[in-house]
Amino acid sequence: MARSTLNEPAFIRLTLITAALGFLGLFLFVPLAALLTEALRKGLAAYLAALEEPDALSAIRLTLLTAAIAVPLNLLFGIAAAWAVAKFEFAGKQILITLIDLPFAVSPVISGLIWVLLFGLQGWAGPWLAAHNIKVIFAVPGLVLAIIFVTVPFVARELIPLMQEQGAEEEEAALVLGASGLQTFLRVTLPNIKWGVLYGVVLCNARAMGEFGAVSVVSGHIRGMTTTLPLHVEILYNEYQFAAAFAVASLLALLALVTLATKQCVEWGAMRRTGGGRAAERGESP
Amino acid sequence: MTIAVNAVTKRFGHFLALTDVNLTIPEGELVALLGPSGSGKTTLLRIIAGLETPDAGTIHFHGHDATTRAARDRQVGFVFQHYALFRHLTVYDNIAFGLRVIPRRLRPSRPAIDQKVRSLLQLVQLDWLASHYPSQLSGGQRQRVALARALAVEPRVMLLDEPFGALDAKVRLELRRWLRRLHDELHVTSVFVTHDQEEALEVADRVVVMNEGRIEQVGTAEEVYEQPANPFVYRFLGNVNLFHGRVHGGRVQIGSIHLDTPEHSGIQDTPAEGYVRPHDIEVDRTAPPAAIGVTVEEIRPVGPVVRLILIRQDGGGRIEAELSRDRHRELRPQKGERLFIRLKQLRLFLKDHRQTPPAP
Repeated sequence: MARSTLNEPAFIRLTLITAALGFLGLFLFVPLAALLTEALRKGLAAYLAALEEPDALSAIRLTLLTAAIAVPLNLLFGIAAAWAVAKFEFAGKQILITLIDLPFAVSPVISGLIWVLLFGLQGWAGPWLAAHNIKVIFAVPGLVLAIIFVTVPFVARELIPLMQEQGAEEEEAALVLGASGLQTFLRVTLPNIKWGVLYGVVLCNARAMGEFGAVSVVSGHIRGMTTTLPLHVEILYNEYQFAAAFAVASLLALLALVTLATKQCVEWGAMRRTGGGRAAERGESP
Repeated sequence: MTIAVNAVTKRFGHFLALTDVNLTIPEGELVALLGPSGSGKTTLLRIIAGLETPDAGTIHFHGHDATTRAARDRQVGFVFQHYALFRHLTVYDNIAFGLRVIPRRLRPSRPAIDQKVRSLLQLVQLDWLASHYPSQLSGGQRQRVALARALAVEPRVMLLDEPFGALDAKVRLELRRWLRRLHDELHVTSVFVTHDQEEALEVADRVVVMNEGRIEQVGTAEEVYEQPANPFVYRFLGNVNLFHGRVHGGRVQIGSIHLDTPEHSGIQDTPAEGYVRPHDIEVDRTAPPAAIGVTVEEIRPVGPVVRLILIRQDGGGRIEAELSRDRHRELRPQKGERLFIRLKQLRLFLKDHRQTPPAP
């Protein structure tokens, strides 16, 4: 429909498309190709060996474990926060929205350091934790805390605008029709936001598994104990085991590709559901 | 079910949405809350529904205090201005929603729910759209689904917030007549909010005129139109002409003419405002007694009537008069022609008094 008014000359279109594709190729596809080439340089057997090595397996397990704890928690928090922000008026709402964004605003190193300051040996709660033999920093709980902090915004950020746009009228309609609070949430709110939830979870998961900075600060880099996949890559690389480092890195790259594919599927799903309906809902033709 | 609103006050921050509102809605009536935007009519409706809580005052349903009762326990049907249909559910599932959330031991059986939904779909003439989603429906169809959904739980009160506000003129007209017929069939006590005076006057048994968080007048369509309680109601319900004058000893002087106003016989030398509807102005070439001379400025045919914009020769400004097509053909006024007008019905409001007794 906009074609007639936006009909640029062919050479401009060609230039723009070439520039965009060239940029993408240079910064996305070339590194990806290089990564895979490097990973397979010593052959498939070496590639698989790098992944089957005990430290690598432990890093995979730890990455899955931390994500399995952090993502559900942030899912709950994200839905609760978005629900509160979008459907209710309360004092301090703006502060809550700002706080949700905080992890995006600070450097991941700071996100790790705060936990060291709180729970490290020289930190506020450090002596008490040490006295009770609880290890947080340089142990799994610290990693989980750091990852939760870094990934707090993903689900909430995704849902707040969505829920604000949808307003509270459908919930009010459900309440007047006799639904309880839980019924309203399960039957009205959740179905309306499910694609947004899924999208937020996918992004949250990608970040939880791929986070390096914050994790690096609290991990202590104990091989086979507190190294997640990104840290394991760094260790291997620093030890000049390039093929192994790239092999493990290819796992993370695969994760990124899976994330993008899932995200695309979610978007298709969301569009098919409301497809065309959005526009028709606004145009009030009888 | 009768609804009694007693001394209800509601504020949002510094904005006073409702001030000491008292209203009784008798069983089985269809009542319109009519007022300009910001007059508090929607707030009052939402308080009756339990979607807002009043800061002061009470709501009684059938004599029982329902002020603190939750919305879900009030057994009201609410139709939202923008329908608020569940967008992820089909028309059928939307209508069934209220029945499916009833606790299991009280819930009707599946076949009973199915039968109920089908009969409601027939009632709103949408059985052929049962498996469609709200986004696939037109505005008028959505509104009917919203009505059916609200009726499914057999509410004791129907509350409708600007039910036809988002529809175009023709669909509005059809739907509001259909709503009136529906009300005559079901006889559920109903309250609807509107800012359209024509809609209120045509559909409602009783019109509640609201302004700035207060009720200005309650009455039948005829009462509020023929005997407005105050200048606001007069101005809000239809077009008016304003005449400034002085009341003295049972007579009012407007420009060059004097008219009798027996109900103000005890009042001496007080400024007053007189209101005349455009169709209560008689236009002629020869001067009747107590006539005001005017010059025709503009002639605008508007559907069934012809609107004349006249300029008073005594310097009192512009006047709008309405002639029927027949009268217009008979008189054939010309632009710039000098004519005379007579006020068939004038309502006087003394300045600094909100209330005056109704004119005879």
